[in-house]
Amino acid sequence: MKILVLFLFIISLLFADASNKENSYNLGEGVKVADLPLYIGGYISLDYRNKNSENKYRIDDIALLSYGDYKKVSYMAELEFKQFYTLYERDGNYTSKAHTPLHVERLYLDYNFDENYMLRLGKFNSQTGFWNLLPINVLRDTTSNPVSTIILFPKFTTGVYASYTSYKEGEFKIDGMLQHTKDLDSTYNNYTMDEHYAMGVSYGQDSLQFKFNMGLFDSYQPNNLTAKRYYALVALKYERENYQIVSELGSQTSKERFTTAYAGYLQGLYRFTEQHAGILRLESYDDRVAQKKDNIAIFGYTYRPSYPVAIKAEYQVHTLKKENQFLFSFSVLF
Amino acid sequence: MQFFLKILILSVLSIHIEASEYVVVANKNMQAVSLGQIQALFLKKSSYVGETKVVPLNLSSRNLVRESFEKKILHMHFSRLKSYWMKQHYLGHRPPISMKSEASIKAFIEKVDGAIGYIKLKNVDKKTKILYKWSD
Repeated sequence: MKILVLFLFIISLLFADASNKENSYNLGEGVKVADLPLYIGGYISLDYRNKNSENKYRIDDIALLSYGDYKKVSYMAELEFKQFYTLYERDGNYTSKAHTPLHVERLYLDYNFDENYMLRLGKFNSQTGFWNLLPINVLRDTTSNPVSTIILFPKFTTGVYASYTSYKEGEFKIDGMLQHTKDLDSTYNNYTMDEHYAMGVSYGQDSLQFKFNMGLFDSYQPNNLTAKRYYALVALKYERENYQIVSELGSQTSKERFTTAYAGYLQGLYRFTEQHAGILRLESYDDRVAQKKDNIAIFGYTYRPSYPVAIKAEYQVHTLKKENQFLFSFSVLF
Repeated sequence: MQFFLKILILSVLSIHIEASEYVVVANKNMQAVSLGQIQALFLKKSSYVGETKVVPLNLSSRNLVRESFEKKILHMHFSRLKSYWMKQHYLGHRPPISMKSEASIKAFIEKVDGAIGYIKLKNVDKKTKILYKWSD
């Protein structure tokens, strides 16, 4: 509770500080602290799920962002309360769960050598596919994440990331990630691991972007042994003013067998107006570790009174019928 | 009479053509850049041209020159750019700083080596370097 009060106090200070500046604060853009190379922002997310006659109400994310740059160096810090409070209701019976530790979601330093070369050191979102680059509720198109973004590759990497980008004709990028240590904070990484090596190639011109990633990681298993997993992912995104089509398809294997034969999605988003958007996502996966194979159709609707505020509803229809669910969320970027 | 009418029409047309021609300008010391580089600089995907740190300058929002720049050069309209900058805030990038007028942009460019902005062609003078030209 004390931490929450402290957090709200910091936010109120930011608003107070912003009111004194020439450029007034705009929601979703953060605020500059004095004349320091320091910007502060944050986001919150509340959600509701109805599945198998169970209602789940959750304060999911309360996060603080801090970033800035000085000469060739820039930094990013993201601290987060995740799954902060959850209330379950089934047949009139209520149970609740609170999780108050503050976690390090991202913490890294970037060094820009020049126009083309960049080096990153710290904990960051694995630069794999498109979805995992902007994974927070308020920025993604639906409340839920595609299954492929959860089971194929580690969401976070702690280590080194380097990239070469050329902007001559379109945008061509080749990059690599290297982790050879434990996670800085593994609590919410989807894999517990101490090794991750990956590379990617992407090309984009105007509305079209293409990306290919491949890598391997060493994940801890329940028996405390580790197992090497290899993955590959192709991703395609086409975006115009009124609509967007994005697709990712990948596979994961161990030395012996396919651990995920395939996992992917194809999503279309149509903006009826600046505020209203409809989403249709089709997903399919064959997870041979969890022994789950499913096809999913997701019908979503997002209302953004202004872009940094998202009110979303979605209904998921699964071939595994017990997975059918309704989701609703409210999220804000500060 | 017809002759004067033609002259009048041509004059109006020439004024219109001149008014809808724009340029991306930079400090005299800036090296030549491609359209792709201009897009990357104004979307803050890159902050350098070679090893020169670049300071991109916007005109204030809803300015007609800015609207033309965003549509013709960045290929994005206001609402899509708005959502783009929200996403960039999460990634730790800020939009270019905004200047009140083309005169402010020119004054800034003269003083700062890596400054880059866009103005109407008719407002270009010898103190700035033209990097790219477009028209509506």
